[in-house]
Amino acid sequence: MRTFRGGLLIGLAVAVLVGALAVVYEMYDTRTLKRTVRRGEVFCGVNKGLPGFSIPDDKGNWTGFDVDFCRAVAAAIFNDPSKAKFIPLDASERFKELQSRKVDILSRNSTWSMARELDYDLYFPAVAYYDGEGFMLPRSRNKETALDLNGSKVCVQAGTTTLLNLADYFRANNMKYEEVKFDKLEDVVKAYDSGKCDTLTADASQLYALRLNLSKPGDHMILPDMISKEPLAPVVRQRDDDWMMIVKWTLYAMINAEELGITSENIDEALKSKKPEVMRLVGTEGNYGEQLGLTKDWAVRIIRHVGNYGEMYERNIGEKSKLKIPRGMNQLWNAGGVQYAPPMR
Amino acid sequence: MTDFRRLTGMFIATLGLIFSTSYASAQQPDRGDEPGLIADDSYQLDPEWQKQVVYYRTTEAPGTIIISTNERHLYLVQPGGRAIRYGIGVGRDGFQWQGLVNITNKKEWPDWTPPPEMIQRQPYLPRFMAGGPGNPLGARAMYLGTTVYRIHGTNRPDTIGTKVSSGCFRLVNNDVADLYDRVPVGTKVVIRQKPEL
Repeated sequence: MRTFRGGLLIGLAVAVLVGALAVVYEMYDTRTLKRTVRRGEVFCGVNKGLPGFSIPDDKGNWTGFDVDFCRAVAAAIFNDPSKAKFIPLDASERFKELQSRKVDILSRNSTWSMARELDYDLYFPAVAYYDGEGFMLPRSRNKETALDLNGSKVCVQAGTTTLLNLADYFRANNMKYEEVKFDKLEDVVKAYDSGKCDTLTADASQLYALRLNLSKPGDHMILPDMISKEPLAPVVRQRDDDWMMIVKWTLYAMINAEELGITSENIDEALKSKKPEVMRLVGTEGNYGEQLGLTKDWAVRIIRHVGNYGEMYERNIGEKSKLKIPRGMNQLWNAGGVQYAPPMR
Repeated sequence: MTDFRRLTGMFIATLGLIFSTSYASAQQPDRGDEPGLIADDSYQLDPEWQKQVVYYRTTEAPGTIIISTNERHLYLVQPGGRAIRYGIGVGRDGFQWQGLVNITNKKEWPDWTPPPEMIQRQPYLPRFMAGGPGNPLGARAMYLGTTVYRIHGTNRPDTIGTKVSSGCFRLVNNDVADLYDRVPVGTKVVIRQKPEL
């Protein structure tokens, strides 16, 4: 009898211990893919509202370039782009929230920089959008390059790196300019729209969005020059290589698909292709998908549900969208831009 | 019985109508070449097809023309990583081509002599049409190598951004005149196509 009770106690203790261990393991398991699969959803940290990149409508449906990229990751894992949940994050807290595992991935117009990777123990797997500081000016001024802006009055937001880049650029080119500074961006835009300055400077992606709110958007153009580097990239935690690989190759699969001419419209045709590069991407040759911890057709799922890089670009921020940002630097490396994905072989 | 007969008649008539319309649409009207139509030069192009200076990184020398059939854009390479981009209309499926050619001749308000293979496909075309505002070649033409193809203007600005031609590249008249003044005979022209699966 004594031994039975003793055995029961030991058994109970073991059960409690195992239970506690399981809870701790669950809390501290750093393998994002496993957590994501168990939960059945990818948690995406996004911008609260940035037209073209991530914005919800009044019914809570999210659209945008950053949103679509996260859907592509969900499609690769679940074959279902709706298995992405969007969690709006403020600029100030976004990296901390990712670090504390509130989200699996940050897809939120964040500039990749060395300090950010080091300070927050994070990793930016690949550049999704090459942004940079640019200039907007009235079409009627007939300028073709930023080097023609000598002697301009420049509208700019105070207390930003934009202001510093502007100073560096004009100094480096021996050009004179006059700052017209405001604390709020909307005041900068108002001043420009009422003709208080010759040009307005901000990040190019922002300029296209700001242009929509001018009294006559069609009368203004954005110069093709960029005077700073703002590579926007998704972000993941360090030391979770399996997850980082999935995020990185999701983007690269989309870029490679565009280069190979594979779209959401001809994906079924691509599955019958005999071209080795196409076959490796769609998984009719090799098993890269399985090596990633996914399925052979992981890239097909992405292209079918979200499209290739160019489709994602045009739909959200390109010529087919309201913003109408030309591909520019974000065109493929062999078609005038710098978007370049390592080969899938 | 009469009801049945009437119904049958209606059925046959409907069938006939369906067949005739589907036959008409299969006979794709070549909306690219409409002799005599005068171009409306005030036509407003979509921003995507409007002439603009864009970022363009290439190893080709400034002054080279690069045509992206897939994008429906023609780039004139400029110094400093830039290009002037024009919207174009391109050849319909089966009438697209690629390669490297040179501009071998330039003409203002060119006459139009449709080549024999075109006459064979579209017998209603004139054998000759003098240059002028109603001519489908529009305000300017630049000859590409020894081919029958040209970069030319148009009397159909609404076809910019589409694939309707027999292999030529068309721009609106203002743009083709602008390009014409920027490129000499001998200019290198690279024509790029969408990759095949």
